Amino acid sequence: MSALLLIVVSAVIGVVVLLTRRWAVVVRALAPAGSGFLALLAGGAMLRTQAPETISWLPSIDLGGLFLPLDLGTSRPLAAISFVVALVSAAVQIYSTWYLRDDERYPVFAATVALFTAAMFLVVHSRDLALTLVGWEVMGWCSYLLIGHWSRKESARRAAHKAFLVTRLADVGFVLGVVGLATSVGSTGYAVVLRLWAEPTVCDAYGCVGPNPVLRNTFLVLIIVGVLGKSAQVPFQDWLPDAMEGPTPASALIHAATMVAAGTVVLAGLYPALAQAEVARWVLGIATSVTMVLAALLAMGQSDLKRLLAWSTVSQVAIMLSALAAAPVILEQQPGEPPAVGVPPGPALAIVPGAALFHLWSHALFKSLLFLAIGLLGVIAGGTTAALLRGAGMRTRLGRSAFLIGLLSLAGVPLVVGGFSKESVIDTAYQGASQGGPGLLVLLALLVTVVLTASYSTRAYLVIAELIDVTAPVEAVGEMSESRRQRRSESLDPDGRGAANAVLVTLAVLTLIGGLALALDLFDLHGLSWVWTLITVLLIGVGAGLAFALGRAGDPGVRFAGRRVALFDGGFGADTAYRALAKPVVHLARIVAFVDTEVIDGYVRGAAVTARLGGAVTERAHRAERLRTGGWLVVLGLVAVLAVGVFAWR
Amino acid sequence: MTALTGLSTLSALTAQSGAVSIDALRLLPALAPALGALLVLLVDALAPRRTLPHLVVGALALLMGAAGAMPGALSPAREPVLTLCLPGGPDGACLWSAGPLDSTLQIGLLAASLAALLLLSDQWRDLPGDRAVDVALILASAAGGAAVVAARELGTWLVALELATLPVIALVVLRGTRRAAHGGLTLMMTSLLSFAVLVVGTGLWVMATGDASLSGTAIRTAWAQPDQRAVLVVAILTLFVGLGFKLSLVPFHAWTPPTFVSGPLPISALLATASKLAAVGALLALIAPFAGLADPHPHALAFVVGALAIGSMLVGTVVAFRATDLVRLLAWSTIAQAGWVVLPLAALTTVGHRASVAYALTYAAAGLVAFAVATAVRTAGGEPGSERGLAAYRGLARSHPHVGGPLILALLTLAGLPPAILGLVAKVVAIRPLLAAGLWPLAVLAVIAVVLGIAVYVRWIAVLLAAPEHRTTAASGNNAGTGVEVQVGPGALAVLSLGTALLVVASVVPQVLYGLLS
Repeated sequence: MSALLLIVVSAVIGVVVLLTRRWAVVVRALAPAGSGFLALLAGGAMLRTQAPETISWLPSIDLGGLFLPLDLGTSRPLAAISFVVALVSAAVQIYSTWYLRDDERYPVFAATVALFTAAMFLVVHSRDLALTLVGWEVMGWCSYLLIGHWSRKESARRAAHKAFLVTRLADVGFVLGVVGLATSVGSTGYAVVLRLWAEPTVCDAYGCVGPNPVLRNTFLVLIIVGVLGKSAQVPFQDWLPDAMEGPTPASALIHAATMVAAGTVVLAGLYPALAQAEVARWVLGIATSVTMVLAALLAMGQSDLKRLLAWSTVSQVAIMLSALAAAPVILEQQPGEPPAVGVPPGPALAIVPGAALFHLWSHALFKSLLFLAIGLLGVIAGGTTAALLRGAGMRTRLGRSAFLIGLLSLAGVPLVVGGFSKESVIDTAYQGASQGGPGLLVLLALLVTVVLTASYSTRAYLVIAELIDVTAPVEAVGEMSESRRQRRSESLDPDGRGAANAVLVTLAVLTLIGGLALALDLFDLHGLSWVWTLITVLLIGVGAGLAFALGRAGDPGVRFAGRRVALFDGGFGADTAYRALAKPVVHLARIVAFVDTEVIDGYVRGAAVTARLGGAVTERAHRAERLRTGGWLVVLGLVAVLAVGVFAWR
Repeated sequence: MTALTGLSTLSALTAQSGAVSIDALRLLPALAPALGALLVLLVDALAPRRTLPHLVVGALALLMGAAGAMPGALSPAREPVLTLCLPGGPDGACLWSAGPLDSTLQIGLLAASLAALLLLSDQWRDLPGDRAVDVALILASAAGGAAVVAARELGTWLVALELATLPVIALVVLRGTRRAAHGGLTLMMTSLLSFAVLVVGTGLWVMATGDASLSGTAIRTAWAQPDQRAVLVVAILTLFVGLGFKLSLVPFHAWTPPTFVSGPLPISALLATASKLAAVGALLALIAPFAGLADPHPHALAFVVGALAIGSMLVGTVVAFRATDLVRLLAWSTIAQAGWVVLPLAALTTVGHRASVAYALTYAAAGLVAFAVATAVRTAGGEPGSERGLAAYRGLARSHPHVGGPLILALLTLAGLPPAILGLVAKVVAIRPLLAAGLWPLAVLAVIAVVLGIAVYVRWIAVLLAAPEHRTTAASGNNAGTGVEVQVGPGALAVLSLGTALLVVASVVPQVLYGLLS
């Protein structure tokens, strides 16, 4: 029942905050306290949940052809994800009381965060595609509001629009996929959908038994398109860095626990069907492989460290999703049957979507830490560009340590949470690579990404801790940070941030010990391969060494990108590509609009003219309202009716 | 006096057949308003020139009548409420037989009469007239309506039908204005004509069946004989034409707009809703026995019913499109909606009967809400009638959402547009029997009428939602610029809130209304 409670209470907090927005004191007390309560609740649920269970809370709807059970459900991994969502949400709420202290629209922000969290809870716990869709859409809407929070800024408005349009475009695929999956079985319940679509298709000389593989691939590819959009994967990657225009706590929420991670949760829920869809797995594998390497490259060359974190999110979410694409296919073994051919024996059997969800968990912890830490550093430095942040860490030990712990985890150093989860993903990809499928491609991309991630993480730390040569020329100060820097330095003082500090400490500790999730067996993972851990450590060393080598003469990122910093900042021109793509669509729309107004509307207008004319004529006939007119009508009508009767009789 | 007529009819029946069984409780839907009318006159004699006692007695009588019809409407066995049964008659013929549909109609028309009474009570302060007479006339009309729905004998049927109509003429005329006299005259001429036609039809009917009862057996026997069948066809068509007046079907509709506009609005509401429901019940009593007839199928009847229905829908809608006066709009829309009510009857099936009743009730609820709004809107100064004009309603939903909102809901229901799901479902339910009976052309024409109808109502909705015209100039007073004032009296408030609640609930769970009827 706690799943239901999480959703409802979070939504109620949002509504109440919105209703009481005139009393800032109430909001400042209610939003952090409520979200903190939810985090405790979710934590309790995580420790208590054992076996998967289904919760029926709404009466199911039977639409004749389509049955909507509207069930919720929970399980150990889902409860764990739910906890991390609640935790990040609470951290963001508490942190915002300091960060948005002087913002007149803070109550609206807090309400949106609460609603956003409720939608994410819904997606996590939904056992019904219709409810998933509801949560998915609400998140899209809330992200628009959060990114555009400082709506007086032109750039924030544009970023919000861009995020909305790009994800909306991808959502077309998501909705079509959901409709396809649901209508083919006449129900939106996951259980019913998976019962059909997770069935393996077995072909022999007499034909095939099982669901149509083409349809299965089509529907899942459509859903994957939606996921790629929401998770900012290639080719939809460019909206997320622009979304940095939102307040930093909003970025923490969007990046760490909710929006971009939602796709992973949905695909993990559909994993049994995905495992049977070869083409869909290839699509996902290729997209995520390209994304993780590309985003890591872009992260290295960013002139703004907040955008660096944004690109790292894109890369890390690609790692999560790649675990789903590359995981080995598990055929369920009936007792007494011999194990299926081609499946490696042993505990690796259970590895399936666990690695993806575990990485989601660990990413949520360290990415929220990183964002909230850079929020603090940015306030101290007056902006988040590399040039401004240079040495900012030397002014706050807490900020520096928190940032360092986050970066270690991001780089995947063993024994912090990010290390464990990245190992699991690599292990999963290795298991999958031996089976064919996109496993090998994903594995290679992962290894390259590990090097790049280590290197940009090192760079970020070098910049804020000023371990680089301060005499090196300041290059490429981001011009967009100007307005922000002014406002920040005027309105926010770094003091009086006890709550924010507490949040940072908590998140840092959890990032250090989050690997305990393995010990608690939350994600159904069994141990890690020491060989791969060793290889990873070596690769991280290579990446870090690279950054140190470049950093001897200034910001390694600037050295790396050279004169092409603008190109890196622009995401390799993705925005221009989007515009170019939109142009023919707009032209096509003009043609359609022309046909609509000039040709089709002609008939409509004709009908209107006819009706109007008929009305005028009839009205004229009745204008006098004389008894005689009515009398004549009656006589004629009576005669006509009786004539019908008489003629029918004959 | 009219109430006395009704009672004497009942007692005359008793006298005729000696051993007729009478169950007063089952007659309550008609008996309670009739006795209520007497009681009001009595109360007036004891305490003259009081208003509250009259209103209370009238309301209680109508509520009691409706309560009396409840068991019939909700009976799980779906059996008709029978009384006034002749001991040795054919198939135990009962002169009073109210099936679930009839009982539901009775509840609907008694409730509509109550609503009209409440609306009228708001105007007692401003208008001349005798309150006791007002209440007694409304009750008499309600008694007639409740009786005609359940009457299964042509004599009673005819008298009850006239009892339902004649008091309304008096109510229109009693205001004494010139316009009211014109409207009353039109209505009376119409009633006389229709009465004449109905009497001829009754005569033909008795000639064809040799029986004044409306029993299925007599009709089936007559239908088997070619000669009698021919007369029966002419009889039913003549009676249908006679009822066409009451329902304001084209071409017997000409009285409707002038009467609606000239009489007091609550009486127009009564004419538009309670009288229509009574007429639908009367029509059902006639047409129901034709449902099972085959060999030959009564094509002529289906054709005439369908043709008049479609004609009313199209003509009513097209003229309503030109209306710039809310009451005129409602008048023409009544004509169009009457077409919709009659349309499913063309299928000549029991499903069609249900659809017709469901549509009639939906229309009545929406119509009452719209009329209640019309009574509340006044204009300060300006020409007479300007308070009903398009200009007075501009921006009403913004300036007075408690009045404009219900009006929008009512218009949406009449148009059949979501979020007023009720109206949409009513239209779908009305068209479905036609498709089942294979009457495709009627269904196609009905759909065209739907499209035209949307234009009619959305035009008004757009005006209601528009920004008030003089908002900028009238900085001093909120409504001083428009000169429109909204006064929702207690009666109108009750009708508005209950009607709106009904429409909303029925839109959320339309299956409840249709569950009652199935």
